[in-house]
Amino acid sequence: MVGGLYKNMRQNLDFWRDNVHINDNVLYMSQEFGVVKVVSCLSTCVFPDKTTYPIDETMMHNGAPHESNYGYAYAKRMIDVHNRACFQQYGLRYTAVIPTNIFGPHDNFNIEDCHVMPGLVHKTYLAKKEGKPLQVWGSGRALRQFIYSVDLARLFVWVLREYDEVEPIIGSVGEEDELTIKDAVDAVVEGFGFKGEVIYDTSKSDGQIKKTASNAKLRKYLPDFKFTPFIAAVKETCDWLAANYDIVRK
Amino acid sequence: MDGPMRVLVTGGSGLVGRAIERVVKEGEAREGEEWIFLSSKDANLMSPEETRSVFQKHRPTHVIHLAAMVGGLYKNMRQNLDFWRNNVFVNDNVLQTAHEFGVVKVVSCLSTCIFPDKTTYPIDETMIHNGPPHESNFGYAYAKRMIDVHNRSCFEKYGRRYTAVIPTNVFGPHDNFNIEDGHVLPGLIHKTYLAKKEGKPLQVWGSGRPLRQFIYSLDLARLFLWVLRDYDEVEPIILS
Repeated sequence: MVGGLYKNMRQNLDFWRDNVHINDNVLYMSQEFGVVKVVSCLSTCVFPDKTTYPIDETMMHNGAPHESNYGYAYAKRMIDVHNRACFQQYGLRYTAVIPTNIFGPHDNFNIEDCHVMPGLVHKTYLAKKEGKPLQVWGSGRALRQFIYSVDLARLFVWVLREYDEVEPIIGSVGEEDELTIKDAVDAVVEGFGFKGEVIYDTSKSDGQIKKTASNAKLRKYLPDFKFTPFIAAVKETCDWLAANYDIVRK
Repeated sequence: MDGPMRVLVTGGSGLVGRAIERVVKEGEAREGEEWIFLSSKDANLMSPEETRSVFQKHRPTHVIHLAAMVGGLYKNMRQNLDFWRNNVFVNDNVLQTAHEFGVVKVVSCLSTCIFPDKTTYPIDETMIHNGPPHESNFGYAYAKRMIDVHNRSCFEKYGRRYTAVIPTNVFGPHDNFNIEDGHVLPGLIHKTYLAKKEGKPLQVWGSGRPLRQFIYSLDLARLFLWVLRDYDEVEPIILS
């Protein structure tokens, strides 16, 4: 069960319970059915709120997560607890990937509940179509590392086949590619060729200001992995939404 | 709340449950209060259906939730996965069912063994989630910590003031005295009893150097009653 900032803030209990149930069912059944490897999906949003940067894989449990999504965050952290305990008791090498902010085709584009990139893409599409201003929630100052879903997919396949550790691995672009929400807005505006006004509603929460993650571990294993350039990936996503608007999840 | 208080105690046949039972019988219960002590014979709390049945049967207004899979150091080290999973199931079933049945207050039981391993001392209630627990019992520790996560998010969503207490090392009658699986005090008591009876040396595991705060189960039981009646915070309270 996933959702953007605003949905998490409303329903921490449900995010905690539903995700713990799903995760336990999948991990336990995998064990019962002799599954050799499970690669689960965590998120950098589950890391401690008060922390030094960049965060890395060893720091996940070093403090409480951000207040806005602690239900989801703890449920995801417990995947790592389960994996470690399962390895200890049964020797199974179940592991996890920790992506940063993912975007791409087939996302949930529901404006109330979705993540920042699909939210911006959908809102810009509508703003252009209706000739209205683009209203961005928050100040635009928050910082994020964005990873294109297709790049993450290639990383998942590598982890499934070759990554042997039980400790999770961060799947992300490097710290040097961290962007502000405003940078993301500019990329989406360019992706649609939107010419209207952009308004930042600063009464809305920014969520966590910074979650900078290190991809040093990934780079140690895959020094030559190439990420799709951000502007091009955003353009592909905008084009996909426009071409598939009738059937997208919204 | 108006009306009589009907208190369901899960884990009622255990160390703390029996102490509460004794304290209630010896005059600490109030006029009109009804106390029901459950054991694993009455319901398997790892099953949502059985949990719901037992709540249906007794319709409690309050719950003292003591039921858990527990064990001493050596058992935890062998079975972190089971300690994690079984306790999460029990806790989720009890807390969720309590909410569904309109239970006014649930007091769950945590432990100081769930606190962060690397920490400053003394530890206090605000520090539970500030870092990973000790490696030896991380499964149990995380399961217990998640009671606090559930309580906080349940308060946020529904306004329920479900809370928890955090005892240190509890000891007293009705403990699990199994030498392989029990905690340190009952382990020592049982071993010393046998050593004396058999005329053998007393073998103590470990160096004897670790430090603990011990709380007698009867004292803890009286504190539990106070928390149930008068402690209004959702944040847990250390009882030691």
